Amino acid sequence: MQSICRHSSVNLRAKWSLLILLIAGAGTGCTSLGAKPWDHDLLAERAMQVDAYPLQSGMDDHIYFSKEASSGGRSFAGGGCGCN
Amino acid sequence: MQLKASGATGAPTLRQALKVAAAGLLANGAAKAQEAPAKPPATSVDSGVLYYHENGRVQAVEPELNVAQKINEDSTLSLGFVFDSLTGPTPYGAVPSTLPQTYIRPYKIVPVGTLVPLTTSSGGSTVVLLPPASGSKTETLAATSIVPANTYPLDPSFHDTRVAGHVGWDQALTSTLKLDGGVAYSHEYDYRSASASLGLSKDFNAHNTTLSAAVNYESDLSFPVGGTPTPLTAMSGDFKGPDATRHEVDAVLGITQVMSRRWLSTLSYSYADSHGYQNNPYKIISVVDPVSGQPTAQLYESRPESRRKQSVFFENKIHLPSDVIAISLRGYKDDWGIKSVTADLRYRYQITQEYYLEPHFRYYEQGAADFFHYYLVAGEALPQYASADTRLAKFNAQTYGLKFGMPLNKGSELNLRVEYYDQRGNGSPSYAIGQLKQQNLFPDLKAFTVLLGYSYAF
Repeated sequence: MQSICRHSSVNLRAKWSLLILLIAGAGTGCTSLGAKPWDHDLLAERAMQVDAYPLQSGMDDHIYFSKEASSGGRSFAGGGCGCN
Repeated sequence: MQLKASGATGAPTLRQALKVAAAGLLANGAAKAQEAPAKPPATSVDSGVLYYHENGRVQAVEPELNVAQKINEDSTLSLGFVFDSLTGPTPYGAVPSTLPQTYIRPYKIVPVGTLVPLTTSSGGSTVVLLPPASGSKTETLAATSIVPANTYPLDPSFHDTRVAGHVGWDQALTSTLKLDGGVAYSHEYDYRSASASLGLSKDFNAHNTTLSAAVNYESDLSFPVGGTPTPLTAMSGDFKGPDATRHEVDAVLGITQVMSRRWLSTLSYSYADSHGYQNNPYKIISVVDPVSGQPTAQLYESRPESRRKQSVFFENKIHLPSDVIAISLRGYKDDWGIKSVTADLRYRYQITQEYYLEPHFRYYEQGAADFFHYYLVAGEALPQYASADTRLAKFNAQTYGLKFGMPLNKGSELNLRVEYYDQRGNGSPSYAIGQLKQQNLFPDLKAFTVLLGYSYAF
């Protein structure tokens, strides 16, 4: 039992170390990520918006909600209808 | 006839050919649309009409209109309206048989003595009068339908209309902090849903990183035609129990990162906790004879009264020299035992600066809910939960789509999208009993949609 606990605690410590490394990596990486304010021209286009066509993606979510068991992800999982 | 090469470089590319095809249209709209607006638009209108058609089953028409109005530099009010109309047969959940089968459901309660034309049909069903209990002042009309032998049982009486609306408010609190909230309401002839949401987003790293969090509370009321059936009781024409409620809390956490001038990445996690009535009150599950496989009873389905759903969504948008690629992946799981993956790919092919074609492919695959059964077997103990709704079965689905977009005038876009959806499951499980071996227990679902969209900002 003790060895199992020690083993899981080692695993847990390894996972935390990995997570901290990832966060630290992402933190330092973030300094080179991004675009200067004057380079946001392409990002300002409609096609590059996070949800460029919200009305259409809402209609799609409604269809898939009524034909499949999964929902949510990009937005809320509630369907707001009795179609499932 | 001798064909000549087009120009010194040989045959024209597809992009060049489409440019020529679009040239006439370009002369008016696009030239105007390319003019840069003097200031950001204060009002935007987004509208669309969707036509949905399944092979031999449901069809739907859904117009929708959303309007957003800037109130001042920091505030935007948005309003939305949707209307749905659905008609057509939908699966009962029962298995087919080599014999004709009769299904019955409650239809209407009328005072005793009301003259009822018993041959009246309701969406293809025949209305029958059930004998009233002695002393009762009312009597029940029930709708029956006969499903021919070797035919997948579909309820011909299905129809629905839905009206929904929402009001939202966006408020910039600082140059990097934004609050948004909204309420929504949806009403069907047998269901209503009300919800309220609140979200917060914060920009970091010179607006290159956005963290967002949002919560939503939804309260639903189900009032099925004929009342709410008790799970795992026999299908009948009698009126059932009172209305049923369901409540759901949703939360979404997200991070959006500008990776470079041409690359935007989004990662989000959503969690939903739902309690209350989760059944589809019209769905049944067959109990079959252990030898012949013939249905001996039809029971109303039984789902758990709670559900926890989790999903992770990851999307990348990459701006090529003129085209845009959007790739997303979603992983989903819930405590009903359902796991799924979704992959979605869109390629926006700019024919010109304003005209585009966008092919779309989506792949979806899900595992079955723990309590999904094609049927139950007579003589075996009834499980606590059981559903034969194939939406809870293991299946995969593909969507193929193509969208064409063009400007009509400055600040506007008209687009037309056509999509085809193909869902396939296992219609012949190896353990099928008796006559069920020769039946298709999961017919393919094929549907196409046509979506006409128009948006305008001014």
